[in-house]
Amino acid sequence: MADSVAEIQKAKRLYFFIGMLLFFFTVVTVLVATVEALDFGEHGFDGVDAVIGLLIAAFKASLVMIIFMHLNHEKPLIYFFYGLALLMAFFCMWLIGWSKSDPIQFGSPTKVDGFYNPANPATDVHD
Amino acid sequence: MEIPFVVNARKDTGLNNSKVGIWLFLASEVTLFGGLFSGYLFLRLYADYPWPERALPILPGLINTFILIGSSVTVVFAWAALKMREWRKFQFYMSITIACALGFMVLKAIEYNAKFSHHAVRISDSGPVEGYGILEGHKKKVVLEENDHLHVVHKENGKYPEESFDANRIVFKASEMTFTLTRPVHDAFVIEILKQAARRDSKITLIEDYAVKDEDQIGKDGAEKIKILKAGDELTTDALDKAEDVFLTSRAHDSAIRTNFEKASWAWIRDEKGIDQPGYDIIDLEVWKERRKEDNDKLTPLMIGAGSGITFKVEPALTLILEPSWMTSNGRNADQLKLRDDTVIKGKMLESPMILGVDAIDFSFTAMRAKEQGLDPDAVIEKSWIVQEPKLKAIWENHQEWLKGETIRLAKKDRKPSDFDRYRVTWQKIVAYAQVKEADPDADLAKMAEEKTLALPGWFDGFAGADHYNPEMAKHFPEVTIPREKVDFESTFTPKWSTYYAIYFTITGLHGLHVIGGMIVLGYYLFFGRKMYDSNPEWLANRVEVGGLFWHFVDLVWIFLFPILYLM
Repeated sequence: MADSVAEIQKAKRLYFFIGMLLFFFTVVTVLVATVEALDFGEHGFDGVDAVIGLLIAAFKASLVMIIFMHLNHEKPLIYFFYGLALLMAFFCMWLIGWSKSDPIQFGSPTKVDGFYNPANPATDVHD
Repeated sequence: MEIPFVVNARKDTGLNNSKVGIWLFLASEVTLFGGLFSGYLFLRLYADYPWPERALPILPGLINTFILIGSSVTVVFAWAALKMREWRKFQFYMSITIACALGFMVLKAIEYNAKFSHHAVRISDSGPVEGYGILEGHKKKVVLEENDHLHVVHKENGKYPEESFDANRIVFKASEMTFTLTRPVHDAFVIEILKQAARRDSKITLIEDYAVKDEDQIGKDGAEKIKILKAGDELTTDALDKAEDVFLTSRAHDSAIRTNFEKASWAWIRDEKGIDQPGYDIIDLEVWKERRKEDNDKLTPLMIGAGSGITFKVEPALTLILEPSWMTSNGRNADQLKLRDDTVIKGKMLESPMILGVDAIDFSFTAMRAKEQGLDPDAVIEKSWIVQEPKLKAIWENHQEWLKGETIRLAKKDRKPSDFDRYRVTWQKIVAYAQVKEADPDADLAKMAEEKTLALPGWFDGFAGADHYNPEMAKHFPEVTIPREKVDFESTFTPKWSTYYAIYFTITGLHGLHVIGGMIVLGYYLFFGRKMYDSNPEWLANRVEVGGLFWHFVDLVWIFLFPILYLM
């Protein structure tokens, strides 16, 4: 933790640099989403674009947490609180993703989403 | 009382109280927003409609991201200034932080307002696919002419005519109204009807007396009825309240009498048949029916028997202009309206179209349903009412022309147009096609797509979306009259429209509340922190650090929100 004047001045320079970095990566995020030359995966929005966008966001969030929120020199108890909460949040999201990848099947697995569509009796297949 | 470890660290944890407190709080905030982001993921993955992509204008979100990142830097600079005992610098940086917060909320308000005034309509199309095309745009303003026709009006000297109204109303020529007393009549409906009647010099009067038996005279021969309302009395909310009170009293009285008779009849049939428990399956139904008929003959003279509805006539017939939400869609037909409080209005339905300045066409849902049923989406779309409407047909044909060229261009890179490209015509495309064809009607949009020379409006041309107030842009948004029977569902861009907007407003609204809360706390330190600074500057620095931690968290949430909502 910065205590002396010199340390605080150094920390301010770091904060400014990290702020500029955050601006830069925000622009990168927008460019990746809007410029065709930076559109990886299929044309338009797809899973690849989602992963790239979220990775950049996670990197920016890490910078904020580590530098601005001083997590780089915090006590273990803080890591414990924050880590538990993050774990819980990720678990919630993983649960949703898992349920989508392993759904309860009533309809035909060869149809578009594998689910029973009342408008189409052919999907009323019990596997 | 001296609270220990406010500034100095505890020996066991190495932390002061406020640090422990704020991190625990932030952990709870992580679980809160984690739950909301999970909710977003759930809604998106399981949506039974094509999830809107890039539905929000990017520029306001981008500016807000810069604002919050900047404010994160300035709040930590404010803390550093306090650590170095530089009060003026602290004030400077903290003021910028709060100004950034205000700027963020102003931009948020602009974005929200744009959504509240932007309309979307599902067009019901009969055909093999259960689905709908979507038109988006701004409602026009209209006036009702002498011949009961609607006429679109525009602003004069910056204002619409006073008698104008939104071109999304049910226009009905009313000759009779029946109010149901079994449930409360909605006063707002009555007040609006009376206002319109007064404006058009129409009188709404009771057709026949509303009278009930005098309770004291019940059972006596020649009992007279008391007139609660007389034929010819004008409709007022007080008159309806009066009739409702009388009806409810009468109903309570009559129910009590009926119940007593029924109790006596049950007791009789048990005695008659010697049955211990009641039940229709163990009594002789014909005997029971005969007994009940006798009861009813005896009951009638003992009941007050107030009518459950009162009917008013409207002279001369009044052309009412009512909000569609006042009635269910199956509460409307050619000669009758049924409002949500069960009021029935008889007369004649006049033309009640929705008139929209269209700035987007979306066939994503139609295409999705067509693919599910193994049909060709383009063939299904060609049969849609939207594509039959001449102005929209022109836009769709331009789009198909552009799509041809775009397909060739992408094929050279082993790619294909996405469903978004194929089935959604955005406002930028509508404006671009119109500008090109205006300059040169024979312009080849396919070639322009292939060579990527079609110039779309930039981010600043539509800051918060399609700008219907800019005449140069608005002239390209065709004015379309949508017959009422084609309107399957309509809404502004609010949670009512789709789960996308529901989660958008929930997450960004809660985030906005956090911004306001953080702004208040930081503002307190700025405006009222001098005293603490003079007595214990380290304490104030500690507090600002803790407030700054909350502010960084708010920035953190937005760092994820911006790409998820605006770019994906």
